[in-house]
Amino acid sequence: MSTSAVDTLISACIRFLQAYPPFEQMEAAALRFLAERVRLQHYPKGARILSTEMGVAPALYIIHRGRVRAKSTVGLGSGETTSSTLGPGQAFAIGALMAQRPTFGSYEAVDEVFCYELPADDFFALTQKSSAFNLFCTQHIAGLLKQSQQQLQLQFAQRAAEQKTMNSPLAAVVKREAVAVPTTAAIREVVELMAERHLGSMVVVDEQEVPVGIFTLSDVLKRIVLPGASLAQPIASVMSPAPATLPLAANAHDAALLMAMRGIRHVLAVDEGGRLRGVVSERDLFKLQGAGLRQIRHAIDAANSVEVLQHARRDVRQLSLTMLAEGVGAAEITQFISTLNDTVTRRIIELNLERHDLYGIDWAWLSFGSEGRDEQTFTTDQDNGIVFICTDIMDRELTQLRFLDFARDVNADLDRCGFPLCKGNIMASNPDLCLTLEEWEERFARWVRMPEPQALLNATIFFDFRPLFGRFNLAHRLRLELFRQTRGNPLFLRMLAENALSVAPPLGRIRDFVTSTDPEHPGTIDLKTYGVRLFTDAARVFAMANAVEATNTVHRLRRAGAVMNIGTDDLAASIEGFNFIQLLRLRHQHFEQEHGRPGDNLIRPDDLNEIERRVLKEAFRQARKLQARLKLDYQL
Amino acid sequence: MSWFSRILGARSTPGVALTARQEQLLGGWQQLPDADLRRSHYRCRYVVIDVEASSGDPDTARLLAIAAVAVVDGQVSFQDAWRLVLEGQAAGVNPAPSADVAATGSQAGSPLADELISFLAFVGKAPMVAYNARFVRRLLQRTLAEHLGLRLRLPWLDLAWILPDLFREFDAGPERLDAWLDHFGITSIRRHEALSDAFATAQLMQIAVAHAARKGVDTPASLRELEKARRHMHQSA
Repeated sequence: MSTSAVDTLISACIRFLQAYPPFEQMEAAALRFLAERVRLQHYPKGARILSTEMGVAPALYIIHRGRVRAKSTVGLGSGETTSSTLGPGQAFAIGALMAQRPTFGSYEAVDEVFCYELPADDFFALTQKSSAFNLFCTQHIAGLLKQSQQQLQLQFAQRAAEQKTMNSPLAAVVKREAVAVPTTAAIREVVELMAERHLGSMVVVDEQEVPVGIFTLSDVLKRIVLPGASLAQPIASVMSPAPATLPLAANAHDAALLMAMRGIRHVLAVDEGGRLRGVVSERDLFKLQGAGLRQIRHAIDAANSVEVLQHARRDVRQLSLTMLAEGVGAAEITQFISTLNDTVTRRIIELNLERHDLYGIDWAWLSFGSEGRDEQTFTTDQDNGIVFICTDIMDRELTQLRFLDFARDVNADLDRCGFPLCKGNIMASNPDLCLTLEEWEERFARWVRMPEPQALLNATIFFDFRPLFGRFNLAHRLRLELFRQTRGNPLFLRMLAENALSVAPPLGRIRDFVTSTDPEHPGTIDLKTYGVRLFTDAARVFAMANAVEATNTVHRLRRAGAVMNIGTDDLAASIEGFNFIQLLRLRHQHFEQEHGRPGDNLIRPDDLNEIERRVLKEAFRQARKLQARLKLDYQL
Repeated sequence: MSWFSRILGARSTPGVALTARQEQLLGGWQQLPDADLRRSHYRCRYVVIDVEASSGDPDTARLLAIAAVAVVDGQVSFQDAWRLVLEGQAAGVNPAPSADVAATGSQAGSPLADELISFLAFVGKAPMVAYNARFVRRLLQRTLAEHLGLRLRLPWLDLAWILPDLFREFDAGPERLDAWLDHFGITSIRRHEALSDAFATAQLMQIAVAHAARKGVDTPASLRELEKARRHMHQSA
């Protein structure tokens, strides 16, 4: 080796690199480091430079000469590929290198290609050495993920569009070609045509195809049969003139509004020239609305069998997915899911009450856990119980048996409707959870007085109770009694706070996130245990310490926060953090289920884009702030 | 003069005075095992050589510069390059000889001997590659014999013969390195300067091995066979 030769070649390489971003902005020392370590590799025309099968990307590739076709698979499972051509100075496999994974696409030499290749270890050293290069790589990845996210949203949007909503333009709503007759057509002709084609209405147009009137089946009776009008008359004499029209670009919602305002059943879609392009009937719109919120509720309320409810439950899923796709916030979606799940549960209870006579007993169906907090996601199992009043202690056993019988049926029906039986047997059919008000109070009091680990765990599930059906005042009484107990036992809240602090936000000192060491799910974070729980546990302590009756985490934070003098900005930030984690969970569960897997809560931070990672980090910081408050309040 | 180099019988031109250190280094080089020419292109080391000389006749021309770029496992690393520019010879600029190389070299322990030993150390026993290898080889052999008393017997590959066989659709003419560089869009850092040309030729070599490998010619040995066959065909025709 001779230094002068090495220097000459390295300088030439540096000069080449300096003509292209980001190298032109790189620090001289870093650029030299790069040029010293790259190797020039040649790929003949058609050669595959890098592809998924080759495993973890071994190097950064900077094209020196020639063109490279980059094919990347877009979206998840869409099978679609986009291809682009890269030229001299462009680098590739940055994303794969940073994530230390195989590339998602493939890179192929279009002609004779020479690449400078920087081995992975040197690549990482370079990101450490050069802030300009580091920034470039980060932005590159953010860009890539943004692209993939856009693809994702596109997919969502397509799906949302497939189930047309009231936002669809009339052009999309109008299916059949409009049948129209000229003003001079005889009534007989028109009625015959309507009968032949099973049409409920006929549009009358002038020579320019501009609609001038409409004639409907109901007009036949009122304007022809009853008055005894001659069938030879032109249709113009009996039609309703000046029909309601809307441009094709108007949406279904506009049409529904117009119908409601004018009390009509048809709206004509016309093009720019005012020419008839189609007819939208009230029934078309009704079909269009499909499984809207109101319809689902209605269907649930009217359901008289579990089969119908199973359908409704699927509709709930579908609609929540649509909401997710349309960008509705996590708080709204979880609340929505909870509300409709409540409705399903109530209907199941009602249906079972027809077979189980509980008349004359005061009782209430309680839900616990996430359902109790109105925070259900797509995957949820049952967490429920029964509280009842037994005036005569002698009847207690018998009454409980009746409730247990009833609860077993309800639990089974819920299971059939997509609420799997609780593995921990937290269900009303469990004799331990089908208790009189006094028994519940006694049990709560015991947990509060003796906050051993199991009692604290129970507190995190059962103290988030919420009445779903029956005498809601029973739940209220239970709540008041619980507050009386906790006020008298400051140690309990301290223990509960300590318990809430047992899990720290998964923020690392060196790396951004602390991920699971579980060999089965490496690199993941369980957003239930290490995400949502951080917030719910803290909010529970805040709520109980300040006698806030709400069980919903956001409500608890808002109401308790006001009492605790937490600034509104801080509060809003905490709530946002919580909602963001919930949104990630929802999205993740949705994808898992789309791919036929049971939705878990294991998020891989590496799969998130740069912005999401930052927001997630911020969300965890908010959780840390809530925990800091707990530490301060309870001197932990 | 050291006794062991004589025993090894490598020195064919006695009478060249070398220091003990030089003898030792040269002996060390000679003991290196020969390169295995049956390994894949992508598992062996080629050394691409270019020279600058005072004229086009290898038997009389004065050597002005030598440059070598290694192609290891198919890759060129900038750390793996060697160059010697003889004193007073600005590369490719001044064709007139200004230093008497032969005279300098004949002195025992001459700096040029050191340089040439360092060159041999860089090359090792790797197959040597050049464009128009006959000229480069003759010039180097002469210089090495004069200054080190050494007969260089390493396998040589000539891209001027190999490329036309691999790319039969392209006719660059027998000695047109420029035409090949143009054809593949290879830009020389500084044309006619030994290191730049060696680097450019190394890239031609990368192209050559890739295309040769596709045709089943995937080792240095088979590449030599290909060259030999073409020479035979064209020289006998």
